[in-house]
Amino acid sequence: MTLLCVGASAAPAPVAQIQAMLAKPAVLCGRFDQTKQLVGMKKPLASRGRFCVLNGKGILWRTLQPFPNTLRLTRDEIVHFQGERVAMRLEARQEPTVRMINSVLFSLLSGDLAKLETLFEVDGSVDGAGWKVALKAREAALAKAIGTISLDGGAYVRNIHIDEASGDRTAIVFSEIKTGDTAITAEEAGLF
Amino acid sequence: MSKRRALALGCALVVCLLLAHNAYLWLGKRIAPDTDILALLPVQERDPVLQQSFTHMVDAAQQRVLILLGAPDWNEAQRAADAYQAVLAPHSDLLQPTAIGDQAQSDWLAPFQKHSLSLLSAQQDAQLRTQTARFWTDAALAKMYNAFSGPKLGAFQDDPFGLFSAWVQERAQETPVRPRDGHLFVADAERQYVLLPLTLKPGAFSLAAQEAVLPLLNRAALAAKQAAPTVQIISAGVVLHAAVAGRQASGEVSTIGIGSLIGIVLLMWLSFHSLKPIALILLSIAVGFLGALSLCWSLFGGIHLLTLVFGASLIGVAQDYGIYFLCNRLSADPGVDSYQLLKRLLPGLLLTLLTTVIGYLGLGFTPFPGLRHMAAFSAFGLVFAWLTVACWFPLLVGAGTLNSAKLVAAYDTLLLHWPRLRRNRASMAVLAAFAIVAGYGCSRLGVNDDIRLLQTPDQQLLSDQLKLGKLLDAPTPVQYFLVRGASAETVLQREESLKRKLDALIARHTISGYQALSNWVPSARTQAERRALIEEKLLADGGPLSLLAHQVGEDAAWVAAIRAHLLRAGDGMTADQFLATPAAEPWRHLWLGQVGGVYASIVALRGLDYANGGLATLQHAGDGVEGVQWVDKVSEISAVLGRYRAYMGWVLAGAYLLVFALLYPRYRRHAWRVLAPTLIATVATLALLGLAAQSLQLFHVLALMLLLGVGVDYGIFMQEHPGRANAIPWLAVGLSAANTILSFGLLGLSRTPALQAFGLTMLVGTALVWLIVPCFSTSTESCHAHSPGP
Repeated sequence: MTLLCVGASAAPAPVAQIQAMLAKPAVLCGRFDQTKQLVGMKKPLASRGRFCVLNGKGILWRTLQPFPNTLRLTRDEIVHFQGERVAMRLEARQEPTVRMINSVLFSLLSGDLAKLETLFEVDGSVDGAGWKVALKAREAALAKAIGTISLDGGAYVRNIHIDEASGDRTAIVFSEIKTGDTAITAEEAGLF
Repeated sequence: MSKRRALALGCALVVCLLLAHNAYLWLGKRIAPDTDILALLPVQERDPVLQQSFTHMVDAAQQRVLILLGAPDWNEAQRAADAYQAVLAPHSDLLQPTAIGDQAQSDWLAPFQKHSLSLLSAQQDAQLRTQTARFWTDAALAKMYNAFSGPKLGAFQDDPFGLFSAWVQERAQETPVRPRDGHLFVADAERQYVLLPLTLKPGAFSLAAQEAVLPLLNRAALAAKQAAPTVQIISAGVVLHAAVAGRQASGEVSTIGIGSLIGIVLLMWLSFHSLKPIALILLSIAVGFLGALSLCWSLFGGIHLLTLVFGASLIGVAQDYGIYFLCNRLSADPGVDSYQLLKRLLPGLLLTLLTTVIGYLGLGFTPFPGLRHMAAFSAFGLVFAWLTVACWFPLLVGAGTLNSAKLVAAYDTLLLHWPRLRRNRASMAVLAAFAIVAGYGCSRLGVNDDIRLLQTPDQQLLSDQLKLGKLLDAPTPVQYFLVRGASAETVLQREESLKRKLDALIARHTISGYQALSNWVPSARTQAERRALIEEKLLADGGPLSLLAHQVGEDAAWVAAIRAHLLRAGDGMTADQFLATPAAEPWRHLWLGQVGGVYASIVALRGLDYANGGLATLQHAGDGVEGVQWVDKVSEISAVLGRYRAYMGWVLAGAYLLVFALLYPRYRRHAWRVLAPTLIATVATLALLGLAAQSLQLFHVLALMLLLGVGVDYGIFMQEHPGRANAIPWLAVGLSAANTILSFGLLGLSRTPALQAFGLTMLVGTALVWLIVPCFSTSTESCHAHSPGP
């Protein structure tokens, strides 16, 4: 099944259209505002911070409020800094799925639908300058772990909604997006 | 006369029965020789638990065939795997693919979630004891706020501190294989592989399975290469080794068997210029073979291919009796009736049979079932060949049937010029020189008891096996810890004590990890301790959970709700409960359950570092933990080989004494002349092995045992006709020795080191006996205690 979906040329029309609308900068940084609604909790949990997507290098996800912590995803590892301390490090050498997780997250943040189609059923629609996509994992196990994901945006991804099978929900809004070499701060570049 | 006829007829009846039985076996039952090398190894009779643990480990491995299809690109690897599977699909009665359904994957965790409060990774177990409340609150907060914080299972409230997901992560580390896109996936730096686990339906050692599996896998590999040209295919499985070993042994049986037959036919033609002796000798050999096979099958219920390989060399010995009779007939007065001749030869013939059978019975003293089979096969074969000579030959060979060829006369005259050992200076000097060289050679002799003597694995298969072992980080099935206890709980507790000791070895890289049932289902004691620990350190009032509520603005009711929710997963899990889950499937072989009144389990080791004395360290790693035993099947077999090498050495010495005792009543003060050539040849062979920097192994000693049987034959032949006027025994010795050398020399071509050592020892030893035996002949004809007289 997955073999049918390799390469952009094989993608159905809306996906190809959306692909054409997306800018694919080498460096993409901006602000995110995240709201989580967890099962059993009355109030939603709000947080915000900065994110950077470096093509071919990885992702930096820095939560600034209410608690500073940083997540760095590269090809071969996921590192979680709590302040200065490394709270968790997961290497592809020990955990082969790290590469897959990272590639999915990279595709999500950069809106690489062709790649996402290998793992998800992509249901997309285009409306003027904007687009909307719903993702459903092809594998039952993955669907159970992730739930459903929906994305919308224009030249960049603007919103991500994750509805987990467990009932926990996450909404992320991206704003103040900058591209090019000046988008990333020296401090952030130093983390790679 | 009628009595003789009756004997011959009785013999014919027996032969007919043997023929019928063999026809029934080969054509009716379609029997096939066994090729399982493990069937040749000694059974652990004293310790049934230990034996069963080994069977458990081996059975789990035996029917498995693993195929890895790797390509730099994952899609390419998948394409190759799909093509490969398409070829196998119609043959699921032979090789059944292991299904990896989505359903199985999603249900996989459910049984554990119910007991999640008892499951902790080693790291977090330690952190719970040492870290502050702040640490855990921070961890929960990070998990709460982060969008992508690593693996996540279920809702936040199911696992607020990430304990269960860390445990699942730790379990996942036990294998690098992951489900991906409906395939099993594993990768190294260069390639991404699809793993295809297959189950062989027929037994791995059935010849039919071996003959069918290899061509099928080759076709599948071809299809995969067509679909994806860059694909690299790694295959491993006991059946592949068995198929290669079986093919090699079959080839050797025909080479050695046909080779010695051709040799014998050629020699007989050159000696007698007639086909009749050839036919007669072949007849005796054939009857010997049929009888040996029938009796062995009836006794042991099967026959090993290696037994047949060894049995093929029997041709060289079984012919001795026929040759001896024919040579004597050739020289005897035409007026002497063949029955009279036989009567005269009978004492000598009986002695040769007895001494050779004693030689073979030495093999039967070993605890190796395979060697016992070989001993029985050979002894029966000889007895039947001997009986054929005794019952049929006088009837079939009359006076004047045979003519000697010219070559024989030339060979016979050699005897007249052969040096003879006398009581003079020259002889003494030769003996002294021999003693010095032999002493030097023997002193250089080392020993080797490596199990690899029994089998030479195919190089390609071996390198595939190594690559696969490295990629899959699979444990070795022949080295592990066996844990015993009076109850399942005791066994799990002892496993845990052992694991604490092994953790130190992981830190020192002696091993990379271990597999144990207690990884999945800890002992009830540990489960209770962990629940208490979590309640005390995380859920207590004012602890991390309360602090977390405070941080995110939740109230005491939320804290109570979360605590109650977590405690609902506080039920303990038992080993039986775990074994009933689908997740237990890959680990079931580790649990032996109740065996002979005790419970037992296996702790298997991954990534064993053999290079830096890992085995020596592990041997004592379990010291101090009650009920824990280190099992090393490899060194155990090597130890058995070594013990029996030494033991057989003594048996050999004893056999010399026994044979001497058998010879003495007949030859009296000349008995030593019968035995000395074999003894000297034995010492010389050992010295040559030493000089050639060979290591002494059990199979050299076993060959020397057989050499005793064969060599004494020659001594007896010569001593039955003392003096050099009569060249007939010399001819019989020459023909026998040449044939024996031919057959055992070809056995020396075997690629199984054990058989090769056996063959070469026999080759050198027999040649030496042949050369030495005339040197010990007596100079006059009158010095015989019981002259066999005409």
